[in-house]
Amino acid sequence: MKGLFWLGVSYLILLLLFAIFGPTMRHDYLNPVASPLQPPSATNWFGTDEQGRDVFARVAYGARMSIIVGFSVQLIALTLGTLVGVIGVFGKRWFRDPLMRLTDGMFAFPDILLAILIIGVWSTGLVPVIVALSITAWPGVARLVKTQVATLKDREFVVSARALGMPTRRVVTRHVLPHLTGILLAVSMVDLAGTILAESALSFLGIGVTPPTPSWGSMINDARAYINTQPLLLVWPCAILSLTIFALNFVGDGLRAATDPRNR
Amino acid sequence: MSPSIAKNLGLRLLYAVLSLLFISFITFVADEISPGDQATILAGEKATPEAVIRLREQLGLNRPWGVRYVEYLGGLSRGNLGNSFHGTREPIVDIVKRTLPMTITVATCAILLAAIVGILLGTIAAVTQNRFGDRTILIVSTLGVTIPNFVLAPVFVKIFAVNMDILPSGWSNQLAGPVWMYLLMPVVILAARPMAQITRLCRASMIETLQQEFIKLARAKGVPPLRLTLRHALRNAILPVVTAIGTNFGFLLTGSFIIETAFRLPGIGATAIEAIKKGDTPVIQATVLIAGSLFVLINLLVDLIQPTLDPRIREAQV
Repeated sequence: MKGLFWLGVSYLILLLLFAIFGPTMRHDYLNPVASPLQPPSATNWFGTDEQGRDVFARVAYGARMSIIVGFSVQLIALTLGTLVGVIGVFGKRWFRDPLMRLTDGMFAFPDILLAILIIGVWSTGLVPVIVALSITAWPGVARLVKTQVATLKDREFVVSARALGMPTRRVVTRHVLPHLTGILLAVSMVDLAGTILAESALSFLGIGVTPPTPSWGSMINDARAYINTQPLLLVWPCAILSLTIFALNFVGDGLRAATDPRNR
Repeated sequence: MSPSIAKNLGLRLLYAVLSLLFISFITFVADEISPGDQATILAGEKATPEAVIRLREQLGLNRPWGVRYVEYLGGLSRGNLGNSFHGTREPIVDIVKRTLPMTITVATCAILLAAIVGILLGTIAAVTQNRFGDRTILIVSTLGVTIPNFVLAPVFVKIFAVNMDILPSGWSNQLAGPVWMYLLMPVVILAARPMAQITRLCRASMIETLQQEFIKLARAKGVPPLRLTLRHALRNAILPVVTAIGTNFGFLLTGSFIIETAFRLPGIGATAIEAIKKGDTPVIQATVLIAGSLFVLINLLVDLIQPTLDPRIREAQV
């Protein structure tokens, strides 16, 4: 288990470097640099696509897109989810009950339908994708935070802090939320994998990030037409996407095991 | 039927109706806040602002949204989903009638396949716990949960349609063979994820059941192993699996966008994606509404079936 965790961490560090430096390291990711559908060579390490663009640079830019979408969505979902989860325990009854009902309803509803509705009536592109995926992601966080906070609420240190007259807001930020960092970090790693998959799925369907901006999903979709002539075009984005998902799951599982008090 | 069961049933029905109302409200609001309304699109790009306003009055779009929402619900209850913005302005009901059977067929075949193979593999894994068979099944099912459909689809096409050339790579209007050949790959790929989930759940549930006292007693009495596994253990372990089959069926019906796009199947998911690309808001609204309602109804069905499968739930409700 520990081995897989560190393997995942090293892969993710490499991916981050790849996303930062890869897109412009050797070639432009938007314009043709050589003849189309070339196999890998010394100049174009991953070969070229149907328009003669460098696949290495494009896969790297796809990584950048995935990371931008993934982190933005997780940041929004964590903030909103934590807020709603805390309100779900400490809030006024008339406000928190309907709010938690709404959260449960949205949690049960299929994410992809909601995302498709939002993108459908709004627009495609980077910002709508981030907003749509954030709206589908927060209810999961809110439910998790709510159950965690509900158990912490009755612990001695919280009860005594409140008995001493500490304002609820301060109790939450000083005594409750710090206990959640471990589990939230672990869960958001696994959720990040889900977000990256969802972004790729939307781009695969042609309703995600707007072309010609590369995304792994749209690269997989484009590559399907050249499955006979240059199957490697399909292999790169598929392989790196699958590896990323595996790595995030390994890291998430490792973090969960490390932060679970039963394992100490 | 005892009063408490009736009350429980009533609550479930009420909850389902509320969910349906909620979905209809969300799809209605989505149209409200989307840029550009029916009038601007119907009037065409060259229309003067006055013409658009006149059309808006004709269509009744300037009335308060509450009135229009009730009207929208009334239309839905009469089976009126509105018209497409494009082409012949086809009634959306006709589009749904044309495309929904394909989606339901593929999802039903996929869930059947997933359920049968999943329960079989899960049971085998539980019986051979921690040995080779179990390990292999666990690893394969982990892959099944993790690898996305849109990666599996092109890989399958490459292997079975391009290299081996035994299956068609996608749907076409003139089918050159039996229909099942065109549906085989989509069904198998769509089944991969629920199959993996059902396998893992069935394994866990079976392992738990096999440790129970009554299994030890049955074994001591000399019940043959196969009968012990199927009649005594599986019968008891199946309940959470049935729930999972139900929820997964709901997700398959609503998650057909990718598989239908990948194999060009004329289903409701592919229709929705086409509508998004063309900016055909009423069609997007209607497809989300239909898929969402199906999801709610299937979950209601699962809730209703459970007590008939497990006497313990029946008793608990009395």
